[in-house]
Amino acid sequence: MPSIRNQIRELRAARNMTQQELADKVGVTRQTVIAIEQDRYSPSLETAFKVATVLGVRLEECFQYEPRGKRS
Amino acid sequence: MATSLSYREKSLYASLVAELAVYGPYFFLHRQNSVNRVAGMILAIIVLQIILQSIIAAFTRNRITDERDRLIELRGYRVGYFTLASLMILGLGMLWFHAALGHFPIEGRWVGLHFLNVFFGMLVISDIAKTTTQIVTYRRAL
Repeated sequence: MPSIRNQIRELRAARNMTQQELADKVGVTRQTVIAIEQDRYSPSLETAFKVATVLGVRLEECFQYEPRGKRS
Repeated sequence: MATSLSYREKSLYASLVAELAVYGPYFFLHRQNSVNRVAGMILAIIVLQIILQSIIAAFTRNRITDERDRLIELRGYRVGYFTLASLMILGLGMLWFHAALGHFPIEGRWVGLHFLNVFFGMLVISDIAKTTTQIVTYRRAL
């Protein structure tokens, strides 16, 4: 499990945006958006910035770093 | 949450089906193997792959690939390489063993075909290992 957590699902839902719409705007597949939302895949820095830009938030509002073993 | 298959995933399943359908009967029903059959098998896998990949491409609207696809592809190639290297070392070890004992258990005129089958088998096993790794990695999300 990656140590990068994210709020993409909540941010996306607040904007009534589907996974496919977000994927198209970021330039990834819908399966990648699903994997990121489920914390099963940590995207590259470039993709993380693109996601934050599309959702209109700062990177740290979208992604958080939690070192392994410190998760509650 | 239900996740439909991406274009790359469908393509990998098709490749695995084609590999098993063509190579399986050849290696597991190896009666009267010949150079012509090896050539036929290579032709069959090319034709089958073209047909299957064309069908998948025709019925898949979104055919983009991204960074995760590339990472999964690399992971598959790494496993494929280690499988091929391991098989090569095993094969060379067996050759050395037979050479050290001073006998080779195959009749002279079949040696060429035997080596063709062994090396082709190594490539096939490595390719199947690569494809299977990529499919499993897609399912585990990476």
